[in-house]
Amino acid sequence: MDIVVQLLSTVFSPVVGKAFFVIFQYEVLFVMVAAGAFGLFVGATPGLTATMATALLIPVTFFMDPVPAIAAIVACEAMAIFAGDIPGALIRIPGTPASAAYVDEAHAMTRKGLAETALGTNLVCSVLGGLFGTVVLVSMAPSLAEFALNFSSFEYFWLACLGLSCAAMLATDAPLKGLVSLFLGLFISTMGLGIIAGFPRFTFGVNELLGGVDFIAAMIGMFAISEILRYAAATMAAPRPPQQRIGSLFKGLGRILYKYKVNLLRSSMMGTVIGILPGAGGDIAAWVTFATSRKLSKEPEKWGTGHVEGLVDASASNNAALGGAWVPALVFGIPGDSVTAIAIGVLYMKGLTPGPTIFLHQPEQIYGVFIAFFLANLLLLPLGFAAIRASSQILRVPRHILMPVILVFCVVGAFAINNTVFGVTVMLVLGAIAYVMEENGYPIAPAILGIVLGPLLEDNFITSMIKADGHLLGFFERPISAALGVVTLIVWMIPLVLFVRSRSRPAAA
Amino acid sequence: MQKSSYFKALTLGVLAAGAVVAAAAPAAAKYPDRPISIIVPWGAGGGTDATGRIIGTLLQKELGVPVNVINRTGGQGVIGHQAIATGDKEGYTLGTVTVEIGMMHWVGLTELGPKDYTPIGLYNADPAGVQVRADSPWNSVSDMLKDIKANPGKHKSSGTSQGGIWHLAVAGMLKTAGIDPNASPWVPAQGAAPSLKELVAGGLDIVTCSPTEAGPLRDAGKVKILAVMDTSRMKAFPEVPTLQEAAGINWSMGAWRVLAGPAGLPKEVTDVLVPAFKKVIDSKEFVDFMNQRGFPIVYKDPAATAKFMADADKNLGEIMKAVGIAK
Amino acid sequence: MRFNDAVLGAIVAAFGIYVIVEAGTFPGLPGQTYGPAFFPTIIGTVLGLCGTLLVVKGVATAERRPLVVWGEWVSSPRHIVNFVLVPVLLIAYILFSKAVGFILISAAILVILIRRFGGGWKAAVATSVLATFVIHTMFYKVLHVPLPWGVLAPVAW
Repeated sequence: MDIVVQLLSTVFSPVVGKAFFVIFQYEVLFVMVAAGAFGLFVGATPGLTATMATALLIPVTFFMDPVPAIAAIVACEAMAIFAGDIPGALIRIPGTPASAAYVDEAHAMTRKGLAETALGTNLVCSVLGGLFGTVVLVSMAPSLAEFALNFSSFEYFWLACLGLSCAAMLATDAPLKGLVSLFLGLFISTMGLGIIAGFPRFTFGVNELLGGVDFIAAMIGMFAISEILRYAAATMAAPRPPQQRIGSLFKGLGRILYKYKVNLLRSSMMGTVIGILPGAGGDIAAWVTFATSRKLSKEPEKWGTGHVEGLVDASASNNAALGGAWVPALVFGIPGDSVTAIAIGVLYMKGLTPGPTIFLHQPEQIYGVFIAFFLANLLLLPLGFAAIRASSQILRVPRHILMPVILVFCVVGAFAINNTVFGVTVMLVLGAIAYVMEENGYPIAPAILGIVLGPLLEDNFITSMIKADGHLLGFFERPISAALGVVTLIVWMIPLVLFVRSRSRPAAA
Repeated sequence: MQKSSYFKALTLGVLAAGAVVAAAAPAAAKYPDRPISIIVPWGAGGGTDATGRIIGTLLQKELGVPVNVINRTGGQGVIGHQAIATGDKEGYTLGTVTVEIGMMHWVGLTELGPKDYTPIGLYNADPAGVQVRADSPWNSVSDMLKDIKANPGKHKSSGTSQGGIWHLAVAGMLKTAGIDPNASPWVPAQGAAPSLKELVAGGLDIVTCSPTEAGPLRDAGKVKILAVMDTSRMKAFPEVPTLQEAAGINWSMGAWRVLAGPAGLPKEVTDVLVPAFKKVIDSKEFVDFMNQRGFPIVYKDPAATAKFMADADKNLGEIMKAVGIAK
Repeated sequence: MRFNDAVLGAIVAAFGIYVIVEAGTFPGLPGQTYGPAFFPTIIGTVLGLCGTLLVVKGVATAERRPLVVWGEWVSSPRHIVNFVLVPVLLIAYILFSKAVGFILISAAILVILIRRFGGGWKAAVATSVLATFVIHTMFYKVLHVPLPWGVLAPVAW
């Protein structure tokens, strides 16, 4: 150990050497593995989120040194985001919101017998994306945080609009029904006592609805309950796909990664940037990169049939976003997402006051945190591997036993979000609606996207208009906002132009 | 073959489960003999959540039973406060009641008021601060007020939702200074952190959240704290003047947090909780935590807390009516 | 349960109109052009238009497609019961979990559903006991989720 420290001290600087010493202690490594295993479990359980896992770690971190405390949170968080992919691929129920974007594609691969390839791709791309985000965090945190601080509600409004255009790419085969689904999601997001009005909307006199419809409960309902209902009504047993045992999870991954290396880099970059922007996190990163990938794909015809390409993008981006979210948190004490909001509290408690000076005053602590980031992402590889192997056994459990157990898991998950049975009610109602929708060819994904983006869209629009005294041109007065606005309008125009041209061509011929 | 191995695993599991249950014998004793829940009406990551969690951890040590912190968010605090007020009256449901309990019923969001709780003790009070961008032309509150008076509607302020506590802070300050409370229009926000970000991004002019939350941005040279709305200066920010010192305005406003149970907790329960909570407040861990986060500790015993809450409720109602937030 | 586009389209359009009417009753923000009613009104309008388009499309195909196509399961009483049982059990959980407690309700749901879905008694009871115990331990003990004890409160562990 001493030799390593000396070596690092000479190659890099004494600070890095010291920081390594802080991290490579048995206790710290043990804490990270334990927190990582905890994160895997939480992430793989629908209804439990990375935020909740972090909140539960807080009492434990009270008794730890600063670096292990942060290392535990980082490890737990990285594992949770990946683990959300596991139930998504195996039983089409995303474990965390960040996996909701690509759950259909991953499950389609399982139906083709390629569950292990799908999950292996998720795992390795999560690791690579996470490492990319970490490199950005370590090398460019201060200047990037400065950039992110320039984003006001005007810029966020355009970002939300760009996010909405993802829906167009998610529902290519039934555009009208996709639109209905998207606006249903947007409607759901307006329910409750919002920050804008201080006035309850669409609560039907139900007290619990003041808090609006919880997104996680909605997600569990729309994916899991509708699936269980379909199973209950299935007169013919669905054939069980024989799963290919490819021996090693990672076999064939090299080729996939090589083929989609551009996707990997692009989505890691996009994921990191989205993570850096406070208020937008891994969830949105996954949607945006998945839709972008589909738009730019060379083989668009394969999408929807269990095509691995989008998994590469989305898995890389949601883990890359984690590193990004820490940039404004460390530099300005402004959380990039809800997990860093809790982590900032831990930083304070441990005397690591966030701010630009954190790099000057406590360098070995902060470099220790950085090394913990690298280590957490590398640890994801063996722990994730074990989790995939263990969980793929659930495909062997008879479905008549699996489905009821999943139902109870969903009930507990929906309850746990806000510790009230109202979550179960939300889950049931939206599950029934989603069942009818899917039976009739209405895609579910745009509704989920609408629930995610609705508040971002509305709050930023209304607050921008208050600031600009009601002048819509305010959206083009700031340079970044104007640029984003023009890009958005172009993205929206392209399909329209293509549509008009495709209509006019047969007429002209 | 596969089926029988599934059974074998199940049988083993059932046996193991039975053994664990048998090992845990039921116990019956005086209060507390089972886990206590502390309901936090606000989300994970905020100040109320953070203080609630440290109190939970330390109270658990003090009482010897698990103390679970539960977030019941939504409806700007209504849902969580409702859950505390309707909890069991045996002392197993407690919660952190916040300043909003004196505000929500004035706008008709709920019937709940301070009377619906048994206070265990006040533990924190955070005054509002006046924050502006570092490159703002205003160097004092009087500069700012002059500008707002001369250009009504031009300078926007924010910090929380429409009609929230920090909205009240700025409206009350303007009114006390003899300016129309709507002269600085309120921009609703999710909370202090997003509005500070907006302030720095140039979308706003004033943020009236607690100075504690603006600390890192001030240290980064991004914002200035012009004043605190309190009768005395804050320990964590000794160089920041009070409103009285800065502009001669006699106006205080702040958020506060109380540990409480539902109304009508029996004496056996409060006799255990009140001294245990006092011990937590005095403990080194709690004091260190609050100092590091910059939360001032303000403790009052149950009787004083009840009076404090009732007075605050009356004052808040008067102010809300005066500035037009409540009818 | 497949409906003709016109049926769901009419429901969507009616819902859109409801949203617009309801939004009309929201108070505005003092001195602001855009208030709480602005977004719901847009949403209601788009839903109304989409619904109307779906009705037009559905009516055009009405001769080929009946208003409702019930799935095969509707003619199988066993599957009707199974299908209805899922929401019924969830409603039972919502209504009674606080009074009866998580453990008993969860165990009951599991036994009933596994039996109905075609499992044997032994598998149903064993899975129910084990799954309930594991879920309760993980959520209540490890994750501090306050699952209600209900009637088992005196023997809570």
